[in-house]
Amino acid sequence: MFAYLIASGISTGALYAMVAIGLVLVYRSTGHINFSHGELFMFGGFIAYTCFVILGMPYFVSLVVAVIGGFALGVLCDRTVYRPLIKAPALTMVLATVGFSFLIKGVARFFWGAREGGDYVAFPAAVDPSPIPVGGIMVFPQQLLVLGGAFFFVVVFTIFFRRTRWGKMMQATAENATAAYLSGIRVERVYTMTWGTGACIASAAAVLMAPLTLLSPDVGFNLLLRAFAATVLGGLGSMPGAIIGGFLVGIIESLAGGYIHTGLQEVSAFIIIIVVLVFRPAGLFGIRRLRET
Amino acid sequence: MLRLFSRRNVMAAGVVFFALLPFFANPYVLFIGNLALMYILLSVGLNMLLGYAGQLAFAHAALFGVGAYTTGLLKLELGLHYGLALVAGVGLATVTGLAVALPALRLRGLYLALATVAFAQATLWVFTHWNSVTYGGAGFRVPPLDFEPFTSRPDIGVYVLTFVIVLVSVPLGWNMLRSRVGRAWVAIRESEVAAESLGIDITRYKSIAYVVSAMYAGAAGGLFAGMLGIVTPESFDLFQVIVHFCMVIVGGLGSLWGGVLGAVGLVGLQEVLRAFRHLQEIAFGGLILFTVLVIPGGAVSLLKRYVPGWKEPLRRTEHDE
Amino acid sequence: MKRSPFAAGTAAAVLAAAWMHAVPASAETGVTDDTIKIGALGVLTGPNAKFGDTIYNGVEAVYKEANATGGIHGRMIEYVREDDRCQASEAVGAVKKLIHQHEVFMIHGGACSNASLAAKPEIVAADVPWVITASTASSLTDPVHPRIFTTMLAGWMESYAQVQYAIDLGMERIAIVAQHDNWGRSRYDPLIEAFKLHGIEPVADEEIAPDPTDGTPQALRLQAAQADAVILILFPKAAAVILRDAYKIGYKPFLIGGSTVGDVGVFANNVGIPGAADKLHAVSTIGYTADDPAMAEWKAKVEAAFPNDTFNIYHMFGIASGQFVVEALKRAGRDLTRESVSQAMNDLSVETDPYAGPITCTPTDHQCHNNAAWFGLVDGVTKRVGVTAVTR
Repeated sequence: MFAYLIASGISTGALYAMVAIGLVLVYRSTGHINFSHGELFMFGGFIAYTCFVILGMPYFVSLVVAVIGGFALGVLCDRTVYRPLIKAPALTMVLATVGFSFLIKGVARFFWGAREGGDYVAFPAAVDPSPIPVGGIMVFPQQLLVLGGAFFFVVVFTIFFRRTRWGKMMQATAENATAAYLSGIRVERVYTMTWGTGACIASAAAVLMAPLTLLSPDVGFNLLLRAFAATVLGGLGSMPGAIIGGFLVGIIESLAGGYIHTGLQEVSAFIIIIVVLVFRPAGLFGIRRLRET
Repeated sequence: MLRLFSRRNVMAAGVVFFALLPFFANPYVLFIGNLALMYILLSVGLNMLLGYAGQLAFAHAALFGVGAYTTGLLKLELGLHYGLALVAGVGLATVTGLAVALPALRLRGLYLALATVAFAQATLWVFTHWNSVTYGGAGFRVPPLDFEPFTSRPDIGVYVLTFVIVLVSVPLGWNMLRSRVGRAWVAIRESEVAAESLGIDITRYKSIAYVVSAMYAGAAGGLFAGMLGIVTPESFDLFQVIVHFCMVIVGGLGSLWGGVLGAVGLVGLQEVLRAFRHLQEIAFGGLILFTVLVIPGGAVSLLKRYVPGWKEPLRRTEHDE
Repeated sequence: MKRSPFAAGTAAAVLAAAWMHAVPASAETGVTDDTIKIGALGVLTGPNAKFGDTIYNGVEAVYKEANATGGIHGRMIEYVREDDRCQASEAVGAVKKLIHQHEVFMIHGGACSNASLAAKPEIVAADVPWVITASTASSLTDPVHPRIFTTMLAGWMESYAQVQYAIDLGMERIAIVAQHDNWGRSRYDPLIEAFKLHGIEPVADEEIAPDPTDGTPQALRLQAAQADAVILILFPKAAAVILRDAYKIGYKPFLIGGSTVGDVGVFANNVGIPGAADKLHAVSTIGYTADDPAMAEWKAKVEAAFPNDTFNIYHMFGIASGQFVVEALKRAGRDLTRESVSQAMNDLSVETDPYAGPITCTPTDHQCHNNAAWFGLVDGVTKRVGVTAVTR
């Protein structure tokens, strides 16, 4: 039982981590939390659904299209919400992103909501749906795909940040936007890039998750709350913290559900957020940052 | 000529309109009027916390729910008089508000937002899961109200009660905002450091903001339970928070009268939106975005700019004019 | 700005004309010489719209057909819908609007139970006949109210039927997995009641979120409790997750689903893992699947009338309910009053196309539908495997 719980905790945790990465990416460089991030995730899933199910493209191609579509939506969010409000207080930005989230949720529901007679659509399995044995327990190949996907994206983004010019510019902007601007970085373009990148990882996560659950216009908010919990647990603004936090939230949910009561699976995330923020607002890995400020 | 539409006149006309409504409105219109009055209470309270004190807290719908549940349950279980139950509802909502404030005082900005979002969700979870007290997801019916010596129609009774409470508490709030308390809130909103250096006791005034706003939310909740005759958890979910926020934003953040206009306007809009069917979410999200982007000061900022007689103290400086 | 006398005069004339026009030819509200105005109250938007809007499309398809064949005693049915967004607060406004603004003759609709319960006092006070299409709370029609009828299975019926079915199959260790939102609660509580009536205890009682990403903890606990039958009180989203994860850990109990997964074939397809839904039987309000040849005619009619819709089970609820109301209106005769139509419904049995048995109202029972059909996969095809007439 323990092995199964840990395994499923890790695979859901990988999803949470991927959603959290985008959230932290935007937070680090702009200082704002994107409340529409869950809906960007959801929309990416539906873009892939359109390609994969309606247009009959291969799964991998659908994934790529969804990632590109997610990027475009992130850029749209930057242009319509973030850029015009760049100097507005946090409150205004929160409300604007909430408004944006309703807008895309409504659009998703309009196009895909009533397709199959319910408010959800089925996303067929991308790989063989039958479970296979791994290390003594059975797992779905799709779960391995989720894990592999998460690993792939983490590695790609680490390389992106450490090695590429754009990545370094994003790092610099996150550290100090004014200094970055003065040293010739086009900060606004970096912001656009950041919103786009954050959304495209979320899209990828949605495409990986969709075959394991059914896809509905309302999935975004739940994932957003899990991602909040992950970022808060890892220390708001810390990228490795968000990834570890994501896995931890997944595992905690799974263990609490399995060993204590299944009702706890649903509320673990809220409890984590409240407890961490009240007793240790810097998060588990936030010691260094706390000292800095 | 335009002085005719000054704030004083418009508000006076509003009072007269709402006072006369029971005499000519059919029950449907009366109900909508009652809803608008209740939302005025909610919006005024939320505006104090959000617009004046600048605390980005999402706990309001939960407190609204605490008020509704307490009032409804006391009426149902103990057969308490509605007035008393309402007072108790306000009381428990206030205490809950204070309980939220204590940890919330340590948090600022987005941390506060996240913590209160989680609090709102956790409260909703309690409403649906604490069966022995809250009757779980199905909610419960509030026994019919009785305003017998005054009127035989309960809907008119609740309406008049709501009207009287609004008539008393909105001017009270207005006075509070123009007093030392209101000025302290605005100082805290603009800069906590500066406020502290002016000798403002931040903890104290922030707590007052939470408590006062919770009182308004609790009163609104108790009236809500009375006018609907049923209390169910989904009336207090995060979508409702957004509706409440939208009222304050569309009307004018940091403007009490803006909040009042926003509440009335949005209730009207929701009725109009019934016709939109599948486009409701789009229209709603679009409205928030449009307001924030195009008229960041809300409707009231337009009035201030184009109509004489709408100026008020303590207005937000960033977006106005 | 002064209003010109001309404008005022015009306004007065228009008002007067409108007023004259508004006077109904018949004494009864909402009925004129050639129209009957019927209102629908329910959710038209958002995730639950299938319980409201989709069903009303089915109802309207029946009304359209009645109108096309000369109407009911020469009167055309006009069907107006008001959205309650599945919210009690909205429902009160919506029903007041139907009664006092639209001035409907009767109400035919009602989706989310909480919203309908909030609307009930208004409807009772206005003495308007009400036929409920989808709300499942039994307190809507029990105790009997002379004006209120339902053509939907009550929530408790499904739950009772599920327990009975498990026992009839000879299952001894019966477990529950439920979502505990308001929909789930309205079925979970009677389910526990039914267990008590049979003098047995569920061997496990697990909970899952309505929108979960993982059901492994639940599946493991059910397996650990060695349940041989699991009763599902779940929407398809959660049910799919549970089925998958149970299958993953190699746990294959008999699964007893509710009407949300009533079209077992469609649901098995959604789950997407061959074999995962083989041991699933689900209770359903309706007697046929949406692709049954018996439904082909209605499928064509609904899809012609509402080109954006794909014909599904929710349309079928509406069709059955619509056929019942049309028959009642016919029986009530040309002298249509709220009293006469209520009298007609009070003792009426109608065979409808989508249901497994007749819709039967009696003076002592306004829960007019109690024929639960069971569906399961037989050689990969959805088949009706039984019909239960549920009693308490």
